[in-house]
This record gives sequence, structure tokens and C-alpha cells, in this order.
Amino acid sequence: MDQTTLVLALLPILIIQLALMIFALVDLIKNPNPNGPKWMWGILIVVVNIIGPILYFVIGRRNY
Amino acid sequence: MKQFNILMQKEWRENTRNYKIYWIPAIFILLGITEPVVNYFLPQILEASGGLPEGAVFEMPAPTPEQILTAVMEQFQTIGMAVLILAYMGTVAGERKSGTATLLYVRPLSFPFYFLSKWVMASAISLLSVWFGFLGGYYYTLIFFDKVEWSKLLQMVGTYSIWVLLIVSIVVAASAAMPNGGLAAAVTFAVYLVLQLGDGLFGTNWSISPVKLPQYAAAWLSGSPDSASLGGAIGVAALLIFVLFVFGSWASRKNKAKTKV
Amino acid sequence: MSIVEVERLTKRYGQENAVEELSFVLEKGTATALIGPNGAGKTTSLSMLADLLSPSSGTITMAEGLTIGFLPQHPQYFPWLTALEFTEMAARLSGIESKKAKLQSTRTLEFVGLEAAVNKKIGAFSGGMKQRLGLAQAIVHQPKLLLLDEPISALDPTGRREIMNLLKTLQQDTTILYSTHILNDAEEMTDQLLFMKEGRLIEQGSLNDVKNRHAAPQIRIRFPDHNQAAEFIGKLSWEHKIKGDTVFLPVYKNGPSMQQVLQILASEKQDILGIDFQTASLEEIFLKVVAAK
Repeated sequence: MDQTTLVLALLPILIIQLALMIFALVDLIKNPNPNGPKWMWGILIVVVNIIGPILYFVIGRRNY
Repeated sequence: MKQFNILMQKEWRENTRNYKIYWIPAIFILLGITEPVVNYFLPQILEASGGLPEGAVFEMPAPTPEQILTAVMEQFQTIGMAVLILAYMGTVAGERKSGTATLLYVRPLSFPFYFLSKWVMASAISLLSVWFGFLGGYYYTLIFFDKVEWSKLLQMVGTYSIWVLLIVSIVVAASAAMPNGGLAAAVTFAVYLVLQLGDGLFGTNWSISPVKLPQYAAAWLSGSPDSASLGGAIGVAALLIFVLFVFGSWASRKNKAKTKV
Repeated sequence: MSIVEVERLTKRYGQENAVEELSFVLEKGTATALIGPNGAGKTTSLSMLADLLSPSSGTITMAEGLTIGFLPQHPQYFPWLTALEFTEMAARLSGIESKKAKLQSTRTLEFVGLEAAVNKKIGAFSGGMKQRLGLAQAIVHQPKLLLLDEPISALDPTGRREIMNLLKTLQQDTTILYSTHILNDAEEMTDQLLFMKEGRLIEQGSLNDVKNRHAAPQIRIRFPDHNQAAEFIGKLSWEHKIKGDTVFLPVYKNGPSMQQVLQILASEKQDILGIDFQTASLEEIFLKVVAAK
């Protein structure tokens, strides 16, 4: 398998990761009352791959 | 039936507007893809980390595509199920605790339909996630490793889906019975562990134990599970799901008084 | 015609009686005010009537096919629904068919003054808007009985006035039972008063009955100074009170009447600054009743 096909093959993973992060960030910005400080969630979402956004959705989001 | 439609619409709106319908499948797709990708790059990763002594000839047998797909299922069994449990632990308990349920409960509400709407939505998203996850894993196994027959995948996923429905039923019923989402999750995890442990310790001969459904699912890849055992396990799972539905409807009605006024 | 009969209704939590032996009747088309200090058992009573709580003992008998609308004290909403979506869902869960539900929801939201927020998410609503929405969801299916827990207490004076006016409009074809601690407003809209304290009903009846039972109306006369006031009451045989330059004469069935007092004042050629007829406010009576029992 050459480099280009490899990159193409891995692209979906990157896209999903990014989408998850952006989704979480946009939601965090709009969230009037997250469970915990906003800046902390912001860092967590950006720094901790995949797990960060998931934690935010499960614990941090609250239903607003 | 009319009430069911209304409640279903409410669940749909909730699950789209809190993005559950997007992020839960996303997690499963990532879990599904990671397994074949990591396995494909494992030799390079080991080499780069320099963990091998000079001159050592490292012979790593490439995993078979069947092994990869089984590993994907194991990922779902741990992280995947935990995600589903955490995502739906509050589906009934949370409404009661926040008091949003009060304005539903003061109406002539059909509690079986209420519970059913919760169950259907959680099941639909969970199954969708598991299917997409396997599809992603299958695709990468195909391009990085070798072919697995499409029909084998379908049989495996079909069997595993029954198990997923059982877990979803437990968590939604626990949410109806417990005072808050945290406790509902704790109870579900406890039941999950006890079932696995009990089946592992004493269940060698319990061929129709639904806890063996994941094993039977995996067995489709290398042949086919004993059809009597599989049928029995599916039957027991279906019965349990029905019992959980009756229990959950009863518990949601009984706990009506606990909603915050 | 009575549409609800409550008999010896009791709710126990462990050893505590949240509500004890509560009995009353709601007549069709009347407004009943449930009054009492915090912790008197008002919310518990309303929750039992709304069938959220089951009584420990006692019975609630409702007219057949009675539809109920309920407004909790702090209504909680699904923040991700719009006002219209929520009201529509409420109406349909109460058995209104879908097209009619939409129409009635729109009208009801207009009625409570939320026409500008019909398609806004409830998550963005202010406290006052949520209170209005609460009223909307309670009346959208046109119930015959309305149970309202502190419907106006959380509002500012303007909002309070508006909601009171809405409730008065509704009262024409709905039976209303509402709890409140704003007694001025209760005085305005009440056919029956229920006073509760520590779970018990300590007084009930129409506004006039209750008032007459606990405080006779009185005639108040202001004199130019204390001496003249004191001198004047020396000539009277009625029960009286004097406070500075003012004299109070409780009015009973056999007098004194305003006319009698005026005649004496005239015949004595007594100069006064003012004279009027006073009834006690609900608040005064409430404090008196609560303190007495």
C-alpha cells in the first residue's frame, strides 16, 4: 500500500475525530450552564482526543 | 397508540437536539476502525518505539481478519457498552429528578408507551451505532487485511445485536427503577459484571445463557454456533427483554410520585 | 353542583403528617384559594388532587370525566423544545387530536402573552415566561378543573396583575383551586377560602363568612384630638377601642350602624375629621387565625 492510499484510508478517522471535537466545542460555547468550568471542558475537549468530547457529552453537557 | 407516536416524537427531538444521534455512532465507528488500523501499524509502532533488542528476529504472525473483527466486538463489549449505559442511565430517572417529567405525569399518560418510547429510541441509536461501528471495522479489515464474507459479518452482527438490546433494556429499566441516573448506571454495571462472572464461573454448560450471545456472534466468523444453543440463548434474551419491559413500565408508574414538584 | 369532594385526606411520611384529615368540596365554576404558611401541606394536597401522589388515607371523589390542568409551583421544562412544541405535546397527551392541538396551542400561547416566543426554545425563557408557559400548558386542553400551585407568587407586580386577569377570565367556565401566599390577590378572586396550617385545615368558608367570624367590620371615627375622642366615647354604650385621636366601633348584627353613630355625632354637635366603614383585610384575619390555632 503506497503513501497516498494510506493517507486516504486514514482520513475518515481524522474527520470523525475533528467532527466530534467541533461538535463538542460548538455545543460548549452555546451551553449556558455546563457541569463544571467552561475553560476546563474546552481544554479537555481539544487536548484529550476522542475521550474529551465524549466526557463532555456524557458528564459536562447537562441537558440544556 | 396515539400517545406512543407523541412520545416517540419527543424522544426523537431530544436525541437529535442533544446530538446523541451523532456522537454515539461516532464513538462506535472510531472504536471499530481503531482495531484494524492499530493492528496494521503495530509492527511499525513496535519498531519505532525501539523496544526490540538488536538483531532479534521478530516474527509476529499477522492477525487473521476474523481475529480483528472479534477484537472489534471486544472493544464494543467494554468501552462501547459503557458508553451506552452512561448515555441512557438518565433517560427516565433524569426526567423525574429534574422535574421535567411532572408535566407529563399529570396527564393521562400511558406508562407502558412512555417506557416503550424510551426503549425504542435508546435501542435504535445503540443498534445504529453498533452496526456502523462494525461496518467501519469491516471496511478497514478489508483494505488492510483480508476478505471476510459479507454473510458472516451479517450473522455476527445480527447475533450481537440481540445482546445489545438486552443491555439497553437493562439500563432503561434501571433508569425507571432508580432514583437517579448514577445509581441506574451503577446497577446496570453491577448486573453486567455479575452476569459475566456467573456465566464464566458456573455457566460452562448453560448453553442457552444469553451472556454467551457475544461468543456465539464471534463463532459465526469461523463456522457457525450450535443452532440449538443459539436459538435458546436468543429465546431467553427475548424473554428477559420482555420481562424488563413489563418491570420498567411498572417501575416508571410506581415512581411517578418521586418526580420533583 | 360539586365536582370534587375531598374527604379526610391524609398523607403521611414516616411519622410526619404532611396533610391530615383534609376535607372540602369544590363547587362547579368557583374559585377556591388555598392559603397557609410554608410547609402547611398545600403542595402535597394539590399533588394528591393531580394524582401525582397517592393519599395515605382518605378519598378524593371527582365528577366523571373531569379533566384536570395542573401548574406546579416551579414548572420544569424540556429546554430543547420550543414553546409551541411543548404546548402541543401537552395537549395531545391530554387526548386532543393533532390538528386541534396545534390550533389550541397557538391560541393559548397568545392568550398568556407568549405570541412572540411561540417558536423559541424554552431553554432561553426567562422566569416570567416560564410561568406563563406553565399556565398555557395547564389550560391548553381546556380542563374543567385547574389546579394551580402559587401561580402568581414568582411574578413581578405587573405580571401578577396580568395573570390574575387571565385567571378571572378563565374562571367563567373553569373550576379553579389555587394556593397562594399573596393574600391581596386571593381576596380578589375567591368564592371559598381554605386556611391550612401544619397539614390541617384550620378555617374554611366564603370570604365574607371568614371575615365576619374572625373580625367584625368596624366604624372608624377620627376626632380633632384625643381629649375630644375620649370625651365622646364616654357617652357611648357600645363596645369600642381608642387609639390616639381615633375611635373604633365594632359593628355587630344589632348595631351600631353608621346611621346611629352619625345621629349621635349630630346631636352632640361633635366635630370630626373623618368617619368610615372598615373591614379587616384577609391578611389580618389570616395572621389572627394562624396565630390562634
